[in-house]
Amino acid sequence: MMDLHILDHRLRVTSISKSGLEHFTHPLIKLIFLRNRTRCKFFSLTETPENFTLVLDEEGFKELQPSEHLQVESSTWLPLNVVSNGNVSSSSQAVGVTKIAKSVIAPLAQQHVSVFMLSTYQTDFILVREKDLSVVVSTLKEEFSIYQEVEGESVPVRCQDVTHNLQKNSKEAIQLTVHPVLIPPNQFCVMSLDPDTLPSIATTLIDVLFYSSSPKEESPDQELDCIKFFSFSLIDGYISLVMDSEAQRQFPSDLLFTSSSGELWRMVRIGGQPLGFDECGIVAQISQPLADGDISAYYISTFSFDHVLVPEEDIVSVMGMLQHHRKEAATS
Amino acid sequence: MSGSKPDILWSPHHPDRYVICDSELGLYRIGPVCSAETKPGSLPLSEETAATLLAINSDTPYMKCVAWYPKQEPECLLAVGQANGRVVLTSLGQSHNAACKELVGKEFVPKHARQCNTLAWNPVDSNLLAAGLDKHRADFSVLIWDISSKFAAETGVAAEKSRLPPMDLDSGTTVTKPLYEIGQNDACLSLCWLLRDPKLLLAGMHRNLAIFDLRNTSQKTFVNTKAIQGVAVDPHFHDRVASFFEGQVAIWDLRKFEKPVLTLTEQPKPLTKVAWCPTRTGLLATLTRDSNIIRLYDMQHTPTPIGDETEPTIIERSVKPGESQIGSFAWHPSSQNRMVVVSAANRAMTDFTVFERISLAWSSTSSLMWACGRHLYDCMEESAEGAERAAEKDIATKMRQRAQSRYGHDTVQVWRNHLLAGGNDPQLKSLWYDLFYILQWSAEDAELKLPGNKQSLYSGIKNIVKSSSGKEVSSRRCWIGSERQTDVPRYHSEERSLALRLCGWVSRGSDIDVETFLRSLEQEQEWERAAAIALFNLDIRRAIQILNRGLSSSPAGDLNLNVVAMALSGYTDEKASLWREMCSSLRLQLKNPYLCIMFAFLTSEPGAYDAVLYESSIAVRDRVAFACMFLSDAQLPRYIEKLTAEMKDAGNLEGLLLTGLTKDGVDLMESYVDITGDVQTASFCMLKGSPGEVLKDPRVQCWIENYRNLLDAWRFWHKRAEFDILRGKLDPSSKPLAQVFVSCNFCGKSISYSCSALPHQGRGFSQYGVSGSPTKSKVTSCPGCRKPLPRCALCLMNMGTPVSNCPGAGKSEEKADLTRENKLAKFNNWFTWCHNCRHGGHAGHMLSWFRDHTECPVSACTCKCMQLDTTGNLVPSDSS
Repeated sequence: MMDLHILDHRLRVTSISKSGLEHFTHPLIKLIFLRNRTRCKFFSLTETPENFTLVLDEEGFKELQPSEHLQVESSTWLPLNVVSNGNVSSSSQAVGVTKIAKSVIAPLAQQHVSVFMLSTYQTDFILVREKDLSVVVSTLKEEFSIYQEVEGESVPVRCQDVTHNLQKNSKEAIQLTVHPVLIPPNQFCVMSLDPDTLPSIATTLIDVLFYSSSPKEESPDQELDCIKFFSFSLIDGYISLVMDSEAQRQFPSDLLFTSSSGELWRMVRIGGQPLGFDECGIVAQISQPLADGDISAYYISTFSFDHVLVPEEDIVSVMGMLQHHRKEAATS
Repeated sequence: MSGSKPDILWSPHHPDRYVICDSELGLYRIGPVCSAETKPGSLPLSEETAATLLAINSDTPYMKCVAWYPKQEPECLLAVGQANGRVVLTSLGQSHNAACKELVGKEFVPKHARQCNTLAWNPVDSNLLAAGLDKHRADFSVLIWDISSKFAAETGVAAEKSRLPPMDLDSGTTVTKPLYEIGQNDACLSLCWLLRDPKLLLAGMHRNLAIFDLRNTSQKTFVNTKAIQGVAVDPHFHDRVASFFEGQVAIWDLRKFEKPVLTLTEQPKPLTKVAWCPTRTGLLATLTRDSNIIRLYDMQHTPTPIGDETEPTIIERSVKPGESQIGSFAWHPSSQNRMVVVSAANRAMTDFTVFERISLAWSSTSSLMWACGRHLYDCMEESAEGAERAAEKDIATKMRQRAQSRYGHDTVQVWRNHLLAGGNDPQLKSLWYDLFYILQWSAEDAELKLPGNKQSLYSGIKNIVKSSSGKEVSSRRCWIGSERQTDVPRYHSEERSLALRLCGWVSRGSDIDVETFLRSLEQEQEWERAAAIALFNLDIRRAIQILNRGLSSSPAGDLNLNVVAMALSGYTDEKASLWREMCSSLRLQLKNPYLCIMFAFLTSEPGAYDAVLYESSIAVRDRVAFACMFLSDAQLPRYIEKLTAEMKDAGNLEGLLLTGLTKDGVDLMESYVDITGDVQTASFCMLKGSPGEVLKDPRVQCWIENYRNLLDAWRFWHKRAEFDILRGKLDPSSKPLAQVFVSCNFCGKSISYSCSALPHQGRGFSQYGVSGSPTKSKVTSCPGCRKPLPRCALCLMNMGTPVSNCPGAGKSEEKADLTRENKLAKFNNWFTWCHNCRHGGHAGHMLSWFRDHTECPVSACTCKCMQLDTTGNLVPSDSS
């Protein structure tokens, strides 16, 4: 039995257009570097070639001025967190979205619950819309002990609290929209940082986040296919960074933490057109084959596309799997 | 430690060494200030102690937590947890220990780097080092490293390598495989090994407190809570654990782990450290951020486990070691209540000892005991060596002695009670004589059926004088044995003679005849007093006689008496005579106050006797009697009023003569008790002669109850019984109602109730001559329904007490028969039973059974009846 915690954050998913970034530098600097000045507890900023995706709680959201450059998804999202309650099932070494593919992602997809995934160095957050919470609880109550965190205390959620308004719960087959994937050659690493040492990398971080488009002296023509992807999150005092190895070189090596094996990750970007927020089963589509292959993965959803990070050594088999999947979908 | 916040660790084995860690590690030695004074660089910690910096270690950057190796050897081995989760073994100062050298520099590296929050060495298996880390999505947050096993595996390799320059320094000293990995997906913020079982590890995880068992790491006991920081086991009580969250400390009992047994009052600022005192039970010190005080919670008297109903008693105190804000503190491992505090800002250290609260208790027998820390002081009154010391004795001792000498119990010769009290207290003497006269005269009045007087006798001279109603006769009498007319007016009235009787000067009768009194004084050799009283009765000749007799009887031959007698004989009433002049000035040199007032009287103008009336060393009764004789109707009540107020204020028992046993008397007694604490005298005095309404005064009842409690506390149970009997006689309203009845199992009626109802029946039967017939109720059956009473568990006979009140014939014999043995024999037949198991039997049998046994005599009953009786094992300390 695993525990599912409904965390005490109410989140908004927004995006800032590349050109509009300059209008938001003040709130972003405050949210990233001045922890004592804000009551924001959940902050995630991901740069993709399209835009900046910002996931943040209501306290953080207040800092953002409405602007034509700011797109806001209208729902409130709640982060879920799966915790093994001590009974270690060490059969699978795989972690992240793979571990919960069968127990959480697939059932939610079946119930037409749209999920927004956010993996960090420390944990994986599954964001669901607040209005879907009752469906989520009734769907997952068999598999999980569900707790709601209220002011730091974990309160067990009793199933009778949940009204069975499963009107969307029709058992129609998942519509298999097979989205195109993009596999850039970048090598990524997932890292963490002692929040106390954040000031010492501040200039590098600002440079990487906000000036990535400025022309670099070293010509990047050898990696034309590389895409810009950088993610910074500061959640409950924990910092998580996802960056490619080129960006990593700009940081001092002794401050960033990562795994002792120094593992590197490759990215699979899902979606040719912006995916929107209403389609279900996207995560399920990709996590299912990964779970079958017992491959660890980070999954980072952004405003436009979803991104999966898989171990570098597994990228070939993942590519094969996706190919196979595509064929299957075409024949069916 | 990150940057600013320092911490202190005491060496587990060297009581004079500690480490301060902030950005680096500094080892200090603490010592007396005098020896350190000579050395440069010693830092004063207090008036007596100073610290010397022995070594500094700045090899390990990004320190997050430090733990000191718990074993004696190698000393000064420290584990340092770093911001990236690595745990490094390091040491301070040079160590020649080989094992230490091999361990120092060893690193333990988690698979995924993240901050190391806490470290804990296993107290028994010191190779085990638990590290608590921040969470990682794919890793465990509690890693238990074995500092030796990996080491042992690699020593061979290391030794071989040591011949060559090591290529990769890390490979030989880095351990990456922990012995145990527990706590997935959750941060671990604090750790401690449980002292009750060294295989158990208590961890403050992100959302809960969890107990992991190394024998089965897949299982855990946990409780969801916010209070997960700073878990610490009470070293004196292994099931008690403290943890905190923000400003609140929670105390847990591991046996009732569902919720905290206690939460301490919340502090406005977040806590930074919580530590149990290692040298004293149940003392918890807490420190909050930006504070210059350490708050102490004393749970010594908090019952464990705490029941749901009981209100826990926690004594909260705070200590302030200095003005600056405290960074951290650490209890000294062995020195009682001592700690070293380091300031938040500049590493300034203070050594100080928390002063223990002093608790103090009086015993019922004048000794005093106080406790401070581990010291217990008993303060006993030195046994008095002589009579002159008796006055200094504590009132409790006095009362105890007096209780033993049956003080207060002489109800016939009431005045003798002052002798029972030791006979050396003039106030008591006066009191008991007053009571004696009051009782004597009121008894005589009652016999003579004189109406109305009794009340007035009790109400004291003040009221008697007030009530005198203008019937006074003043007379100018002659000096006895002389033709000369005195110019001294003397007043008479019924009330005045009554007052004189109460003063003891005259006995019953209309005649004022002091001769009996004078003779009794002569017998007691109170020559001066007798002479003065004779003089006041205008009998100079008698006075001179008395003085002469006193002179001849006293072996030393008091010259004063002789001189006074001569002086008296020269008395002249001429106003301007030399005699008068000389006497009025020289009298002040007389030491005896009675001799002094004799001349004061003779040299005073009529009506102006202040020199006599306000001579405080003269007994009140004599002054009052004098006033009754020589003060006019106008003067007398005023004088008495004034004197009464004075007595009341001073709590002088002699004043009881004036107030009587009235409300005024209670007021006076109140100030006496306030001054002396002598509830014994107060109780007896008020019981002796007070009318009912005075006895009902709550103050009086309070004295009586307190005296009874005192007797109980002294285990003077026989005395208390005697006192209660006496009290019942003198104050019938105080007799308690029967509160316990033995009722029959069958009919439910009280068997004693039936007994008292029996005489009617008995008489009825005997009328018909059937007494002694089988129908006559046996003592072993219920008088109500005649069913047998329960059997004694030992002799198996039916119980029943033949002494139960059988009035009628043989009463006198029975009374004579009530010797001590007889009484005891009858007590032996009483019912007794255990309130717990409800078994019982004859009192005598039960007592002898429990002399040798602890368990109930009924077979298969394991009730320890006698031990349940808290007072049953005490023995009275007085003899009946």
